[in-house]
Amino acid sequence: MKKNKFNHQLSIIMASLLLSGLSVQVQAQDTIKLGMTTALTGPFNEFGEGNRRGVVLAIEMFNKNGGVNGKKVELAEALDDQLVPDRAVQNMRRILDNKDIVAIIAPAGSGPSLATMDMLEADGRPVCNPLAQSPQVTLKNGEGKPPRANIISMAITNKSEATAMGQALGAKYKNVGILHESTAYGVTGSEMTKAAMLAKNPGVKVEVESYNQRSQDMASQVARMQRAGVEAVLVIGLGADFAVIRKNMSRLNVKADLYGSTGAVTPPYIEGAGNLALGTRTMSPTAFGLRPLKPAAQTFVDQYRAAHGTDRWYGPDEANPQLTLGTIVAQAYDCTRILLESMKAAGSTQPAAVIAAMNKLTDFKGVTNDSISFTPDNHDAFSAKDLSLFEMSKGKDGKLFLLPVKE
Amino acid sequence: MDFFVSLVIAGACVGSVYALVAVGLNMTFWTTKTLNFGQGAVMMLSAMSTALLVQYGLSDVVSIVFGLLLVALTGVLVERIAIRPALKTAGSMGWVIATLGFGIVIQGVTARYFGSQAVAFPEVLFQVQDVVTIWGQSISLQYLAVLCISLVLIIVLECLTRFTVLGTAIQACAQDMELAVVQGLPVNLIISGSFVLSSLLAGVAGILVAQISGTVDPAFGFELVMFGFVAAVLGGMGNSGGALLGGIILGITSKLVGGYISTAAEHGIAFGLLILMLAIRPQGFFGRAEVNKA
Repeated sequence: MKKNKFNHQLSIIMASLLLSGLSVQVQAQDTIKLGMTTALTGPFNEFGEGNRRGVVLAIEMFNKNGGVNGKKVELAEALDDQLVPDRAVQNMRRILDNKDIVAIIAPAGSGPSLATMDMLEADGRPVCNPLAQSPQVTLKNGEGKPPRANIISMAITNKSEATAMGQALGAKYKNVGILHESTAYGVTGSEMTKAAMLAKNPGVKVEVESYNQRSQDMASQVARMQRAGVEAVLVIGLGADFAVIRKNMSRLNVKADLYGSTGAVTPPYIEGAGNLALGTRTMSPTAFGLRPLKPAAQTFVDQYRAAHGTDRWYGPDEANPQLTLGTIVAQAYDCTRILLESMKAAGSTQPAAVIAAMNKLTDFKGVTNDSISFTPDNHDAFSAKDLSLFEMSKGKDGKLFLLPVKE
Repeated sequence: MDFFVSLVIAGACVGSVYALVAVGLNMTFWTTKTLNFGQGAVMMLSAMSTALLVQYGLSDVVSIVFGLLLVALTGVLVERIAIRPALKTAGSMGWVIATLGFGIVIQGVTARYFGSQAVAFPEVLFQVQDVVTIWGQSISLQYLAVLCISLVLIIVLECLTRFTVLGTAIQACAQDMELAVVQGLPVNLIISGSFVLSSLLAGVAGILVAQISGTVDPAFGFELVMFGFVAAVLGGMGNSGGALLGGIILGITSKLVGGYISTAAEHGIAFGLLILMLAIRPQGFFGRAEVNKA
């Protein structure tokens, strides 16, 4: 009798487990799953956490509007790589092993992105790069050659930024200093900007210096710029280092105009340099600097503010979000929108169908770029013409923000 | 000429901080023949806590005092947790890993609770734009303040060890620990005190460097300990005057190499000098050669 009762209970438990397993499986098939590895923590988490927020906001918007092809969307994997390439590779392996994931957001930097691109290309699932500026993310075999078939990019590439910046500097100055971090991002950016400057103005003199990330004093580099008599200094690096350079310039009484790459003019720079950041110039997407904002940008801004308020990414001014909200958060938001819209257009999540739809995307209204188009030969959303020069200015409340330069 | 002077001033300023770190390393070397390789994390702790407390609204002075008290406590803990157990085994080098590990734990805990992002450090010593003109040369007051504070601290410390009872007691421990115990000196207290002093010097160095860099993050300080160690070896391990000279030579040489040869070689030259000194004069400028009594 006892044995029968035990068997009965066991069969109920087994049946429950089976049913719960089935229900999980049914649930799994009922959602569209995305995956990402990014710098959620660590010294560069303003990029990764910003990207994650963008992805989550886009997913929430799609789900609110009925999902994609009748299914809800979820961010099934959001793993932390701290911008370390090795960790990004491990995380990406885990994401790729999950066959339920149908599209992937690339890591938030060139190092981890380049470390994972070959495996992503071999896997074949659609990928969008929100931030990594290296041209090799999409153009594995160089310019003029077909891009990686399944990888599109919303990032402002080194090439487009360097071209726009080089043209602006070459047109205005005769003697320019480039101070770049000793990473692939800094070296490539420096070489491209110098080439663009010389193409614009062959007579321009360019002094190039490098520094190691997190150096605590850059007096030698700044003194060399001073001795070369540069009229303007362009810093290609990240925000905290840029603040050190700005302070060194002030201490050594260097009066040159100051320019920064999009990675440099970020919240850590403004926090570290304070009012010394005033007058700093940078290239940024034209569309996000327009006031009033275009509808797609306004929708994103409203959605972000409702979810997070006026935080570190948004900036202190409710009416005027800082540009880094666009270049960090909105680019991941647009990445997600493009991947999901392509699934809608394809009526499927099959990689071949989604990639074919991405290649037909024309005049898509993004947040930071008002007209995004991809073709089988072009997987980069930005070119130099989509960027404009902005200058750090002070509002009536004393807060710093970037305003378009009218020259 | 302006270029040369700029580099020399910046080098002397940064070098004086290396000297401060070197003197801190010497303090523990005297009493226990060990070095606290977690000193970088101690620098970070004082600078980070100062920056965060100022952000929370406390005054600069109160924040600095709190930061220094925190690192003084850390000094006691390092000695109790990482050094004392390791020294129970004769000839053990466990303290090297133990102090490094202690530093990494401090870094990890700071990153866990306060994030890994760089935090802006307040301008507690003049404004970055403040300059004074000497013989037609504009010199940053922040650089001068850092240089002066470091020099004064090192001189005070030297006087303390030479002309006070405490200093005599420390020297007694340094020369013969067993005899110091027999003479009734509170040896454990003196050792703890040397770690507290060492940490306080590192704490001040951290605040001074953070003033120059303008930001501080959990990884701050590791590089400085390496340069402080090089300065200590150059000057002669255990010699305060040597540490000062070693630090300033190191700082000025690095900046001149960076300025006149290549900025890429600026940091490498420090280790070049270390190798050269170990090859030519292992005891440093002012150190005395070790004599093995058979």
